Amino acid sequence: MTTLAWRRASDEEPGLIRSAALALLVHIVFFGFMVFGLNWRNDPNESMAVDLWRDMPQQPIKPQPVIKEPIKELPKPTPPAQEPVKPQPEPVQPKSEPVKIKNPPPRKPAIEIKEKIEPPKTIQEEKKVEPVQEKVPKPEPVKEQVKKPEPIKEVEKKVEPERELPEKEQKTVEQDVLAQLAAQKSKALDEIAKYKAMIQAKIRSRIVTPPDLPGNPMVEFRVTLLPGGDVLKVSLRKSSGYAAFDEAVERAIFLAKPLPIPPDPALFKEFRDFSLTVYYQDAL
Amino acid sequence: MSATVTQDMSLLHLVTSASLPVQLVMLMLLIASLLSWWFIFRKLFAIREAIKQSDEFENTFWRGVDLNALYQRAAGARDRAGSMERIFEAGFREFTKHQSGMDIGAIMDSTRGAMRAAYQREMDRLEAHLSFLATVGSVSPYVGLFGTVWGIMNSFRELSNLTQATIAHVAPGIAEALIATAMGLFAAIPAVIAYNRYASDTSQLATRYESFMEELSNVLQRRAVKL
Repeated sequence: MTTLAWRRASDEEPGLIRSAALALLVHIVFFGFMVFGLNWRNDPNESMAVDLWRDMPQQPIKPQPVIKEPIKELPKPTPPAQEPVKPQPEPVQPKSEPVKIKNPPPRKPAIEIKEKIEPPKTIQEEKKVEPVQEKVPKPEPVKEQVKKPEPIKEVEKKVEPERELPEKEQKTVEQDVLAQLAAQKSKALDEIAKYKAMIQAKIRSRIVTPPDLPGNPMVEFRVTLLPGGDVLKVSLRKSSGYAAFDEAVERAIFLAKPLPIPPDPALFKEFRDFSLTVYYQDAL
Repeated sequence: MSATVTQDMSLLHLVTSASLPVQLVMLMLLIASLLSWWFIFRKLFAIREAIKQSDEFENTFWRGVDLNALYQRAAGARDRAGSMERIFEAGFREFTKHQSGMDIGAIMDSTRGAMRAAYQREMDRLEAHLSFLATVGSVSPYVGLFGTVWGIMNSFRELSNLTQATIAHVAPGIAEALIATAMGLFAAIPAVIAYNRYASDTSQLATRYESFMEELSNVLQRRAVKL
């Protein structure tokens, strides 16, 4: 009798259903938190960041015409550059010109980068090949173009008379080869120009400029890179006269590492050691 | 890399895409966790109630209420009575049964025996399901670990078919498998904490009951001598 009474008492334990409900609640809350409260998915934010990276280098190429200070002829020579590339069978001289004209683009941006192989050299190399033909008349216009910013029309006028002359010559095969070489070179130069623009853009974006400097001071650095784009050494070549600005640019160069360099290792030699010029107004 | 970025790594997807043994392990652990939480709450209420009732009964008992009246009250409301009240009831009933001039020693022995029996039943009731909590607390991590090991074994076996293995191939499988360990720990940690807490609570209650039994038997013995 008594045991029955105990049984009944123990069966009527106070919160049997209540505790079951609470146990369920604990699990629902916990799993609800796990499912909805935590972010289990990798958000595709990263891809957006990648887009930004791709966009950035292209921007500095567009604003080039705005910056007229370094070299004013820049916007003009570009259009002829594209035209002469296409006609391959043309004489050697017109080809040497596109190379020459292509070289200016790297100078367009506010931050100039002079490569070791500078434009004049390439022209001279080709001149060496050319001398078999007519040396005298051609080199002169070449030099004129380099030094004086002449309008496009003049350039074209000179080009046209030249074209007709070499047509008569027999060495068309050689010319073809040379033309291909020139095309390759101009392609490589395009690539170099592109990456220099990217480097400039990256460095420029990192510069924290000291405010209110008078005028448009210019600072020039010599930058040594490691393969991979890491900055090995930065040395001041020409101070702007404002230590704060010099330091800001130097810091920016280190902050910008790794610098974008072309994937083609053959082109890296252009970037191993180059000089970098920054104008204060453009870094603002 | 892009494959992992787009892959659905939500908890539900990971659980549903796990292999069958891992899913079984997860189900087991879920049930164990549900039951252990059920018992945790049941024990919580039961032990809290037992402590409260013991406090109340001790208060009324030591205030010097008439033992007969106390017995009547306890026997009348047996369902709602606390453990200590039931021990008292059992002992007092046994004591009153032998009042017709029997040997005091024999009376007290049988009274103590009745109280001890009631005490055992009460302790049994209080400690019920605690062993379940202890089992869940000690075993479910291993069960979860078993699920994890199984899942990782499978994901590595699938990896052996690939010529080029990347972390992206193993990662979902391992994430799936690790959920089993997480569930095991989720079941085990509260169970262990609750077990330790309730074990100490019940042992405290046990000492209170035992000392009350000694005191009550002394009171009854004095009463028997007076009679």
